[in-house]
Amino acid sequence: MKFSYNWIRELVEGLDCAPAPLERLITMKTAECEGIETAGALLAGAVIARVETAEPAGGGHNVTAIVGLGPLGRKTVVCGAPNCRPGVATVWAPVGKKTIDGVESDGMLASGAELGINRDHAGIFEIDGAPGAPVPGCAPDSIIEIDNKSITHRPDLWGHIGMAREVAAITGYKLIDPVKPDLLPPGASRVRIAIQDLDLCPRYSALEFDNVKVQASPAWLQYRLSALGLNPISNIVDMTNLLMAELAQPMHAFDADLLSGDTIFIRPARPGERFRALNDEEYTLDESNLVIADASGAIALAGVIGGASTAISETTTRVVLESANFQAASIRKTSSAIKLRTDASIRFEKAQDPANTVRALARAVELLREISPGIRVVGGVADQRKDLPGPPPIELRLEWLGRKLGRALAPNEVRRILERLEFGVAEPKPGVFSVSVPSWRATKDVSMADDLVEEVGRMVGYDTIAPVAPLVAAAVPPANPERKFQHEVRDVLVDLGFTEVYNYSFVNEEAVRAFGFDPAECVRVTNPIASDQALLRASLLPGLWRNIQENSKHREVFRIFEIGLEIHKRPQGLPEEVPHLVAAVFARQGDGAAGLDEIRHAAECLMPGAQAQPAAARSYEHPARAADVLWKGERVGRVFELHPSLVETGRAALLDLDLDRVRALASAELRYTPIRRYPSSAFDLSVIAGLREPAGELQSKVQSFAGPLVETIEFLRQYSGPPLEAGQKSVSFRLTAGSPDRTLSNDETSAIRARIIEGMRALGYELRV
Amino acid sequence: MSEDFIRELVAGSLERIRAARSIEELEAARVEVLGRKGTLTAASKDMGKLAPEERSAFGKLLNGAKQTLEQAYETRKQHFGEEALARRLDAEWLDLTLPAPGPRRGHLHPITHIQRELEELFSSLGFAVLDGPEVETEYHNFDALNIPATHPARDMQDTFWLEGGSLLRTHTSPVQVRGMERLGPPLRMIAPGRAFRNESVDASHEHTFYQLEGMMVDRDVSVAHLLYFMKTLLAAIFHREVTVRLRPGYFPFVEPGFELDIQCLICGGSGCAVCKQSGWVELLPCGLVNPNVLRMSGIDPAEWGGFAFGLGLTRLAMMRYGIDDIRYLQGGDLRFLEQF
Repeated sequence: MKFSYNWIRELVEGLDCAPAPLERLITMKTAECEGIETAGALLAGAVIARVETAEPAGGGHNVTAIVGLGPLGRKTVVCGAPNCRPGVATVWAPVGKKTIDGVESDGMLASGAELGINRDHAGIFEIDGAPGAPVPGCAPDSIIEIDNKSITHRPDLWGHIGMAREVAAITGYKLIDPVKPDLLPPGASRVRIAIQDLDLCPRYSALEFDNVKVQASPAWLQYRLSALGLNPISNIVDMTNLLMAELAQPMHAFDADLLSGDTIFIRPARPGERFRALNDEEYTLDESNLVIADASGAIALAGVIGGASTAISETTTRVVLESANFQAASIRKTSSAIKLRTDASIRFEKAQDPANTVRALARAVELLREISPGIRVVGGVADQRKDLPGPPPIELRLEWLGRKLGRALAPNEVRRILERLEFGVAEPKPGVFSVSVPSWRATKDVSMADDLVEEVGRMVGYDTIAPVAPLVAAAVPPANPERKFQHEVRDVLVDLGFTEVYNYSFVNEEAVRAFGFDPAECVRVTNPIASDQALLRASLLPGLWRNIQENSKHREVFRIFEIGLEIHKRPQGLPEEVPHLVAAVFARQGDGAAGLDEIRHAAECLMPGAQAQPAAARSYEHPARAADVLWKGERVGRVFELHPSLVETGRAALLDLDLDRVRALASAELRYTPIRRYPSSAFDLSVIAGLREPAGELQSKVQSFAGPLVETIEFLRQYSGPPLEAGQKSVSFRLTAGSPDRTLSNDETSAIRARIIEGMRALGYELRV
Repeated sequence: MSEDFIRELVAGSLERIRAARSIEELEAARVEVLGRKGTLTAASKDMGKLAPEERSAFGKLLNGAKQTLEQAYETRKQHFGEEALARRLDAEWLDLTLPAPGPRRGHLHPITHIQRELEELFSSLGFAVLDGPEVETEYHNFDALNIPATHPARDMQDTFWLEGGSLLRTHTSPVQVRGMERLGPPLRMIAPGRAFRNESVDASHEHTFYQLEGMMVDRDVSVAHLLYFMKTLLAAIFHREVTVRLRPGYFPFVEPGFELDIQCLICGGSGCAVCKQSGWVELLPCGLVNPNVLRMSGIDPAEWGGFAFGLGLTRLAMMRYGIDDIRYLQGGDLRFLEQF
């Protein structure tokens, strides 16, 4: 929202605060300012000038003009505008002397766009007036831009009067209300109003005018709108926009001659009702859209946009002026449904003050007399409204207020602050205020004592509150074991040389398919930022895959990991979110075995004793290098080499773990086992097996015959080659056996050994002993 | 066998021991004199031939000679031992300036660094660290935070909607609601995590970012208390005292609501490019918890009050490390990540 500093000064009597300090005050007390821009810079020192002569200059379009500035004398100006001809009154701006086409040109004649009055570039701005006089109502201005988000809750601050009221309250100067209510014509109205639902339209006021002359607005009005970024159109339309910017009351003017019948209906649209709007778009409406209609159908989409069929044009002579109030939620719903946000809908969705409708009509009467000379009011004001009880006063206990702010306040100071903001203050009991809320703050903004804490706090200044440590019970906060575990995992991986990456939660269908998922099983974003980011990740692998591809351009070897949530669709309710760890070792050189060693070592560091159990490879896995990760008998993840076709520049070994499962297994309580007092005995066994028989499986088989006295079985080495047959290998294990209460005899140890050998032989294995 | 013979023998042997150039020469000298068949051993065997009155004196002489020679031998032997050790160790010279093998230590993500630091800080102040889902219900993300469907504040947070009506949380604030529901008052909690807004990505905008939500609910929580915690927090983050100011800010879940600014740490408040010449940098939104929010989570606002704040971890990381392009944070580029 843009505010004109000059305009605010007109509304605050005696305001002498410069724009920059005023902006700071507003930021500290009211709403966030985003900056100040200058408007109409060229208007500094500009005066009305009459072109006396215009002779061609040089060979181009330029003319050398002698312009009369009345008491300021004459100037010679070179000008390229097509309408620079003798007799034209325009604006001369003192921009210094410069030689153009060999002529010394003093100052310039400016277009409306150059002056900032309108957007017309076609020629110099034409204006009536006495040469040498300043352009009425047009002086350089400072435009203060307020962050819209910071006034979402303040319907009143969407007009200059609201901001001026704040400035008056902050600075202590008096607010000038531009509205003269007694300008409202008395008597019966010619226009009839029929509101179908007073909840959707709490108030609709209208006034008819005839003898209207539609023409360009005076310079001051065009300038005021242009400075705020609005486009001047014609006097009638400009007036409604000016009042919207002044009073925050959106208005609409209908060409009365184009209305069918004498009644304006405010009703829900009929299903499928079609409506052509002023923006030349045609909308198909439904019952959730509120329309303004005449006997022929919809003539405006309530609170959003007017209709093309009744628009003001150059031939308009009679006007019905609408000034209405609509339910915020309804306007917002319609505006989002048809994806059209207008200056009007932005204001209405903030819940405007119903008292404002007739105030705006009174102001319109005054303005229209000035900008459409000869205009006549026809009849009185048509006004249908919901009978709303005023908001109940709010009880404000001053002691409570002090406790909320954390500082004491004198009752008089609180009263002064509230009254300056035009709240009514009574004190039924000492220390308790009964605060009545002005209508423009009562629609949504201020409804409870907590809202008054803000009013008092901001005006007294939050900088007057000293920080205080609260007195609270010392307590150990509830633990978050999931998060703690994830941090521990991070530390282990970083120590092992892995670097943490963060990837987006969004994935594309191609990546999802590449990793064996059906896109239909992924949670889908209905309004994705791009079509390739429409699915939520059900695996962290696609993200890591991308990281591997990108980084392999710059690195020979690297190790990365990510901890994040897999998001899985559930038939009902929120999806399941499962924390996962994915880690990768990439190497450009080598056959990939070293990377798999390293990634398995990482798994072992995270989960001592974890085992890999060979499993059928998935489509994205190296067909001969994939295994489930088992820990304490449970399947917790997967270790594999990425299929070489997915990473052509090298080899990538990956680990993917379900951290919830791993954590559940990791958190088993530790119990101490006494150190054995009796020595254990060790012996080695070598099993002859096929080359591709996993050592882990052989070990499990040996384990199955070991019995309770075997303490450890440790892989020692494996060997293939002579004297073994081709296709065979010998896998050696070292076993230790012992007992907590005695030293095992040689016979006992031999018996264990014999049992294992016998068992393995029964399974068809030869043993080298 | 005379005393002179012994003395000469000792003098000659000492000379040989000293002159020995290797452990072998030394050993040969020892065997020749002190060995079982050595000259000195032979002399002691001859002692029986002496007259009884001469034996005692000659015995002393022999013992003295033996000790002298053994000592000289040991000294010399030790010398050779030390020399040999020194040679061996010298041969073991290694170039310790070569890089150590094995992978270098990896790196935590910059956001993880900041987040952990804050988790530890708040834990030490008695705040629980809570988690909530990234996919949220409309109720927890909006309604329970006093943002009904028709509220224009919904426009402040461009939302990613999911099929089925759930959404990607637009802030970490829903964890406030879950925290209140789960733990009840009194409550001190933070919730760091990932949040999503549907906006285009450029150097300073991301659709995925990290926040840290904080909340305290207790009896009589005031703006003064909020200020205290914010100053404590910021001093710990920036490792120095920071000057803060509160100004009005609008967020439906707090009343009053504030924007908290810190005095620019670059220029100290005199104005520079970082603070856009204002001397202040907007850092975090905060406020006293709106009574409607407490009520919706089953907490009686007549008895309990609270404050809440939201800290942008992404922004903080960028400030801390001087990162000028937000896209690096989720770009996965090791050339970036290895700097932290």
